[in-house]
Amino acid sequence: MPEMTYLEAIRQALWDEMKRDERVFLIGEDIGRYGGAFGLTHGMLDEFGPERVRETPISEPTIVGAALGAALVGMRPVAEMMFMDFTLLTLDQLGNQAAKVRFMFGGKATAPMVIRMPGGSGTGAAAQHSQSLESLLMHIPGLKVVNPSTPYDAKGLMLSSIRDPNPVCFIEHKLLYKTKGEVPEGDYTVPIGVSEVKRQGRDLTIVANNVMVVRTLKVAEKLAGEGIEVEVIDPRTMRPMDTETIIESVCKTGRLLVIHEACQTGGWAGEVIAAITGSRAFDYLDAPARRLAGKDIPIPYNRALERAAVPQEEDIEREIRAIASGQY
Amino acid sequence: MPVPFIMPKFDMDQEKATIISWEKHEGDTVRMDETVLTVETDKVSMEVPCPADGVLAGIKYQNGDTVPVTTVIAYVLKPGETVADLPRDKIPASAPKPEVAPPPLAEVSAAAVASVAATPVAVRMAKEEGVDLAKVQASGNRITREDVEHYLVEKVKPAGRVAVAATPAARRVARERDIPLEAVAGSGPRGRVQAADVAAFQSPHQPIFVSGDARPADVVPLIGIRQRIAERMQSSFQELPHIALTIEVDVTELEAARRRLNELAMKQSHGKVSMTALLVKITAWALKRNPYVNSSLVGDQIHLWRDVNIGIATALDEGLIVPVIRQANEKSIRQIVDALDNLTSRARDGKLTLADVQQGTFTISNLGMFGIRQFRAIINPPESAILAVGTMIRKPVVINERDEVAVRPSMTLTLSADHRVIDGVVAARFLNDLMLAIETPETLLY
Repeated sequence: MPEMTYLEAIRQALWDEMKRDERVFLIGEDIGRYGGAFGLTHGMLDEFGPERVRETPISEPTIVGAALGAALVGMRPVAEMMFMDFTLLTLDQLGNQAAKVRFMFGGKATAPMVIRMPGGSGTGAAAQHSQSLESLLMHIPGLKVVNPSTPYDAKGLMLSSIRDPNPVCFIEHKLLYKTKGEVPEGDYTVPIGVSEVKRQGRDLTIVANNVMVVRTLKVAEKLAGEGIEVEVIDPRTMRPMDTETIIESVCKTGRLLVIHEACQTGGWAGEVIAAITGSRAFDYLDAPARRLAGKDIPIPYNRALERAAVPQEEDIEREIRAIASGQY
Repeated sequence: MPVPFIMPKFDMDQEKATIISWEKHEGDTVRMDETVLTVETDKVSMEVPCPADGVLAGIKYQNGDTVPVTTVIAYVLKPGETVADLPRDKIPASAPKPEVAPPPLAEVSAAAVASVAATPVAVRMAKEEGVDLAKVQASGNRITREDVEHYLVEKVKPAGRVAVAATPAARRVARERDIPLEAVAGSGPRGRVQAADVAAFQSPHQPIFVSGDARPADVVPLIGIRQRIAERMQSSFQELPHIALTIEVDVTELEAARRRLNELAMKQSHGKVSMTALLVKITAWALKRNPYVNSSLVGDQIHLWRDVNIGIATALDEGLIVPVIRQANEKSIRQIVDALDNLTSRARDGKLTLADVQQGTFTISNLGMFGIRQFRAIINPPESAILAVGTMIRKPVVINERDEVAVRPSMTLTLSADHRVIDGVVAARFLNDLMLAIETPETLLY
């Protein structure tokens, strides 16, 4: 199986799907000649032409509004937010319109569209270019929210997202773009709404998304040498979330830790913990369910502070040790 | 001004109550909240608490009288007040005439609250919240707003849902295995019971052997006193770190003293003085000198008991029972002998009450009559130590510095102590005190 980066995997999904389905087109800022802020659409203008790789003025509401209009008349747009932060500009197009049409028109109109959004901190891009807003998007019924952590999942989920009849927020993490992994050639999908156990363990269930999956897995390997066996679950899709897998896991381990980079207050860790304590897994909890999340502050520009604002490997290790040694 | 004592209103729809009996009488000193009289409504009989500290005076109604609620039935004189200070009123000192109509409701409640010492704010709050001030406990000499608030909070406070801190998983495992969580020691933070604690718990209710063992046997269910012994001994031995120290004592002098005491008892036709009675007397003396041996570890506090209540392990057919000689340090040998006779005969007849076996602070177990030389006993919780007394035997011992040998009666005393509370040196000192008093009984006179 060929190895490629997370970024290449997403590009390959877009490329293949544009080849397969004429209705698919890209729309966004600087996605043509420049290849996008992270180079993800590099080469696609030459391959597919300006009709299908459409560059726009600097107006995110226009991008999402145009994508929604196209979707309503049968196209399959894939829009790009240069940074996830700018999604906040599009909340009317996305939250009030795209998320609602299928319901308000009784299914006679659908909005099969994908909005790609690179999120997360760690690149020194400061408060307006570093946010993790998945919890906010998860709160709006009608939107699906996916966020792959591996190249394999990224390609498979992108194909599922484009083919889904609903608006899908496709969250990419900037720090994952250069991570490598095996990705099959050709067509395969990772279903939306199915989580994956990335690592089996008996002592503690950790639910983490995007870059936190990578960090948690590293820590888990280290602690396995000391006899602490952590189970790591990547929901992959934030909404609809596959809580059944988490319930199963907690019934096995009796302990739960949810890790996300997004700010703690109102973050989706609370949603997962509520789902678990409200389920049959409650009777299996042998310690308080915990969360480890980003600090409730705008991401600082200063590199040291930026690092301190979100969970790092050492934070994850400390929290796992605290739970494993029964400190809570 | 004397505090008026009204017939309280217990029920929303109650209009009158009948006095069943005055527990206190004219001129008696009374204390706030103390029961002064018992009354009966058409529903229940109730004890009526005193509204203030002072002297009861001006009782207007007698046993059997039926009185409308909120009527003043007596007064409480405060210090310096006399009967002359009582207000003159128009209510006759007999049962009210039937034509006396109960006052309108608003006045009733106003009268009710006015008769209790309370601040104006408290009175207003009580009215607004529909609180009967008579039920509110005052923190000072008047009911304050805080008292009413406290009452309201306490009234609605639900009883704790859970008695034991345990994780949900621990609760499930306990449920599945029918293990009482209260019996499981928690290893989690703040003593929280976790699933592993329950899993590791050997319930005394569960036989250690798997059921289904088909070998013929007479099966005795673990119930009643046997079950209680099993539970207590197991938890004591598992939870209390026991240390045991043994000392051998020469009983020559104590035996001689016992003979003399028995001659005395015979002359006065009293019961015989047993060795146990003498040991109780001596042990009580030694416990007073070594307070940690007469203590209980309660949570994170060591209670050094002021009373010395010595339990005597007594064998019955059904099992062991430990009747307690209370305040043994205050009793003469004569009183201890009588108390022992009384307890043992009632124990054999199965007539011991709960009070006879409670509040022990130390236990003596004597297996001497069975020829046991020496043994270690398990502490009887919540006590911290137990003395095991061996049999008395005559044996050759070196009696002086010239290494001369003589045959002397001797016995062993073994103290089992909770090492959390009692250091080895403390246990040793206690045993040395016992030895001193046994070998030189006049020490107790010193």
